[in-house]
This record gives sequence, structure tokens and C-alpha cells, in this order.
Amino acid sequence: MRSVWGRLLLLTAVLVVGAGCATGEEWGTWYEHRTHFASYDHMGFSVRNTEGSAPKVSRQDMALARDESWWGKPITVSQEQILER
Amino acid sequence: MRGRRIVAAVLALLTLTGGVALAAPPTDRVLSMEKYTTDKARALASRHGRALQELNAGIYHCWPWVDVQKDWIGFYRPKSTQQDDRYLSVHIYIEQDPSQVFARLPFEERAAGMFSRYVGPLLRRMTKDPALTADASLDGFTALLEWMKPVPPINGRPVHEMIAIFMDRESALEYLSGRTDNRTLSARARVLGFDGEAALGAIRIAPTWDDSFVTTYKVANYQLEPGVTC
Repeated sequence: MRSVWGRLLLLTAVLVVGAGCATGEEWGTWYEHRTHFASYDHMGFSVRNTEGSAPKVSRQDMALARDESWWGKPITVSQEQILER
Repeated sequence: MRGRRIVAAVLALLTLTGGVALAAPPTDRVLSMEKYTTDKARALASRHGRALQELNAGIYHCWPWVDVQKDWIGFYRPKSTQQDDRYLSVHIYIEQDPSQVFARLPFEERAAGMFSRYVGPLLRRMTKDPALTADASLDGFTALLEWMKPVPPINGRPVHEMIAIFMDRESALEYLSGRTDNRTLSARARVLGFDGEAALGAIRIAPTWDDSFVTTYKVANYQLEPGVTC
């Protein structure tokens, strides 16, 4: 009796793990787009905005987008050239 | 024990949801008191520190397309003044979509456009606290407006343009009370221009007007943090 329960448990575990695993094709897709969630914050934004719902943009999303799309150190003057503390 | 569990649960919830602490603007945008070099400036910072943080928060939440970086808000002394004149200064970087119309304008007109859009609303935010405008130690207001120059990057680096606008206290308060118009304010202000790293010196910008952009423009799908009003 114990061995029957043991086999059932093993079979269930295999099915659960198998269902949770990606196929080779899915892994390939993920690998090609592994930067889709560039950061936790990006993931948070994507999870909050699911298809079919109106997207919501928070102030933090905008700050992160600005940081991630920054082109490099701009050519400009520093504030110290104009103002004194 | 139960209390600790509640605190732990609240902290976990805040961490998972992004939380109130993360929704607040960074406080280092306001120059901290120990960085000032004179007693007059330190006294102003001590008296109005809270008003400056509220100013920072207002810009952060209500003008999300605008960036304020570390130490960009404070009671600075314009370099051109001989004595310890202290102006409430705000430096903002303005993000905007590329525009051919804007790009074709000469610098003086681009500067006038930016002055028209931002100086009035900025002054109104800077003077929200009546205690600040009533403070006799405050000598005036400075706005540094910076934006990307509509030219290709140089060696991968974008070029910025900037105008530094210095307004004495009387001129600013007269404008805010409606006794003078925007054009008079800009004519009385001292304006310095900067093209990348090159100082253009004092410039005469084209005539300005009260532009409604700041009060009418909405970032698509932008959602204010809970409890914030603009």
C-alpha cells in the first residue's frame, strides 16, 4: 500500500514539474529575448500592465525609463559655473 | 509578538508593492544645510527646508517629464553678485520630443519658448509657502532651464542648451501678483545662455508670453501616486 502511494506521489511530482518546464522551443524563445525583463522594475511594470487593461505609468517608471535610455554624459555646463553655495 | 507580526506584514507589503518610501522623490535634490558656505544661506535653509522639499516633491510628481538632479534646488548665490545675495534656485532638465519647428528657431527664440513655458509655473511653485516670500533674507529667484539641443550627438554625447534666469525679488513678486506680465518679467530678468559647454554670456531673449503648456500637458497614462494632488 505504501509503495502504491509512493508511486502516485512520484507520478504527480513528475507531472507537476513537467508541466512547469518549458519546451526546447520555449527556452529558445526565452534565450533570444532574455533581456525582455531588463530589471526587476521593468518586470514590475510589465506585470502591472497586462494585455487588455489601460496601461498605467508611474513616476518611478518614468525615472527608470529615463535612466535606462540615457545616451551618455551630456555636453553641458555644470551648475557650479553659474551658482555658488 | 502580534504587533511585530503586523509590522513585518506591513513592511513585506510595502516591499512587494513598491511602497510609500519608493514613491517619494529623492530628498538629495535639495542642497543640504552643511553644504552652504555662509550663515545667511544656512539660516534660510534651516527656516525653509520643508518648503524646499515640498517644492521638490511637487515638481517630481506633477511634472514627470522634468528631471531634477542632486543639489539642483537651494538658496544659491548667483556668481555675478558681489555680496551674499541669496536666490531660491531651481535647476530643471526638460525632456521633450524632437520637433523640427523647435529646431529651426534661433537660440534666442528657443530660450524665449522655454521661459514662456516654465518660468511662470516654476515661480508659482517656488512661492507656495508665504513664509518664504515674506523672508527678508531672500533676495530673488533663479531658474536654470536645460534641454537637449536639437542636433546629433557629438561622439555619442548629447548636447544640452541652458538658460540661467536671475530675477530680483521685486520683479518676481510683481509678476506673481499680476502687476506685470511675462514679457516685462523676462525683460527685467538677467539671462545667461549656454550652448553645450560654451557660455554665450548675457543674452536678450525674444519676447515671452504666458504659455499654458505646463497646466495642460498630460503624459499619456500617467498615474499620480496615491494621496498626491497637483
